[in-house]
Amino acid sequence: MAGFDATALGASLIRPERIQSTAVWATTVLFALWASFAVPGFSSSANVSAIMYSTSAVGIAAVGMSLITLSGNLFMLSMGATAAVSTILFASFLHFGLLASVILVVLIGGLFGLAQGIAVGVFRTNPIITTIAMASIITGAGSFYSGGLTVVGQGDASWLGVGRTLGLPNQILLFLLAAIVLSFIVERTRFGRELRLIGLNPKAAGFTGLRVGRTLVLAYLFAAMAAAFAGALYGSQAAQGNLKLGAGLDFDAIAAVLVGGVAIKGGQGRVLDAAIGAVFLAMISNILLLKGLSLEIQLIVKGLVVIGSVILGALALGFRR
Amino acid sequence: MAAIRKSRTISGATLLRLALLAALVVAFAIWNPAFISGRNLYALMQSFALLGMVALGLSLTMIAGEFDLSVGSMVAVGGLITLVVGAGNLVQGMAAALAFAVLVGLVNAIVISRFKVSSLVVSVGSMMALSGFAFWLAGGKVISTDNFDLGMALDDPLLTVLSWRSLVTLAAFLLVGLFMHYTLMGRDIRVVGSKPQVAAASGARVGRSLVIVFVISAVTAALAGSLLSMSLASAAATTGSTLMLQAVSAAIVGGVALTGGSGTPAHVLLGSLILTVMNNGLSLIGMAATGILFANGLVLMGIVLLDGQLGAWMSERLAMSRAANSA
Repeated sequence: MAGFDATALGASLIRPERIQSTAVWATTVLFALWASFAVPGFSSSANVSAIMYSTSAVGIAAVGMSLITLSGNLFMLSMGATAAVSTILFASFLHFGLLASVILVVLIGGLFGLAQGIAVGVFRTNPIITTIAMASIITGAGSFYSGGLTVVGQGDASWLGVGRTLGLPNQILLFLLAAIVLSFIVERTRFGRELRLIGLNPKAAGFTGLRVGRTLVLAYLFAAMAAAFAGALYGSQAAQGNLKLGAGLDFDAIAAVLVGGVAIKGGQGRVLDAAIGAVFLAMISNILLLKGLSLEIQLIVKGLVVIGSVILGALALGFRR
Repeated sequence: MAAIRKSRTISGATLLRLALLAALVVAFAIWNPAFISGRNLYALMQSFALLGMVALGLSLTMIAGEFDLSVGSMVAVGGLITLVVGAGNLVQGMAAALAFAVLVGLVNAIVISRFKVSSLVVSVGSMMALSGFAFWLAGGKVISTDNFDLGMALDDPLLTVLSWRSLVTLAAFLLVGLFMHYTLMGRDIRVVGSKPQVAAASGARVGRSLVIVFVISAVTAALAGSLLSMSLASAAATTGSTLMLQAVSAAIVGGVALTGGSGTPAHVLLGSLILTVMNNGLSLIGMAATGILFANGLVLMGIVLLDGQLGAWMSERLAMSRAANSA
């Protein structure tokens, strides 16, 4: 880390596999600059904090999702279900206190992740279908637990819901913390190296002695804990939990991962790319909202942005040839 | 030798599914005799008309080694277009829905094959876009029509348990089954799914296979949604949200391998019937919708586990014990 090598940094930014994420970083900054001049109300403090709130939960889920994508197992389609059930659990545990409730929720979410990690990592099941199946098991169980009703939390969740530290929402600080911690784990630990190597070449990974099963179990564990934590964030904002809150998290997180430039084939990309993808999408949605476009149009645009960024990513890799 | 063995396992698989279906029917009939009443069987076939149609299209993409996540939202869009465009004339609305589906299928397939992007990613994008489109079409309401004639005709009981709607689904299975069994294109689709690397080299038309399966997948989903909206005389943006899960379960219960290349419409038909019987029976004995969702998830989870290492380990143990017995 000693000595800052600008040339090396510059070269790494425009490497073909990094082009997309660099482009998203640059576009995000340029968009923010443009919008603060051209879109009335964009840079007001209320709006900036609205963007932060809509980034936080999705961002936490997205950095969790990026572990699955990096491992070459595409997506975890049970994140929405995990987050939704977590809002219910959060609300029903809130009388134990905010911290205890969050910890319990994240631990239970971790159990969901453990089950999926063991299925995919040890029993080598199809990752997509496994997580689709788990999504309905989790939703079914959650609905049984709540009786299909909205659970209102008994306790004070305002520190997490609306609290601020040094002027910044606690939620965005927790998102940054989650992104930095997961990023450090993926970039600097043996688990992270193995995760990316497995994603790059799953067939070779087993032969070369990488701990495939163990690594994948951990990846699903972390991802599900992130989803559960995101659910706690939603639950604290609404001070209640039900199966609709956070249910759409899967696709927001996938969108962030893809737009951020984490390679769908696995192994390439960084956790922070997913984080910036989440910021980018939250900003786009916010600008569309300020321009008076409805939620539906935002959804359509999001879908098109995903397809577009995937095509761009494919083209960027094509430049190598 | 290999050929004999293969045909034996295929009929064995069919028998297994038929036996499972029969066992479910008998079990539910004993549990609640109302299960085999004409009224209930009619209701069962009506649910089959929706699920089977979606599963049929989705299973084709799976046979080709791809996956279409967008079928659920396509069902909603198909239903909404039918009622919105067909406010005056429902048939016109249905034509518009099907034309739109062809377009979506084409776009999906072209993006997948031209840019060599995973179909899962592309269909995640089209699923989001379609779902946004559905909410936009519905404008936050449930769209309804006062033209009940067509819907009543579609749902009119035929031979007690059938209706035109379920017959359309059965006909679609027959058509697609014949197409997959007797045409070169059907063979190409299977080859593309089982051996993607050698498919192009062996002369299989990869691009065209993808176009066909994604167009059929979108069209069957839109058709299912369109017919459903006619018979309910209403459509909403949230219709079909759990259909994708059930359709993939039906396809997998029907023996469509997750790795592509195997599976036939006839087996998917059986798979869809098994799943419909299970869902109908469970709800008849008083299970709530989310309980059924839970049960579907367990079944799907069980099958993926059998499909993976666990299944391989079990069949290995089985073969070993068989060898030990015969020795």
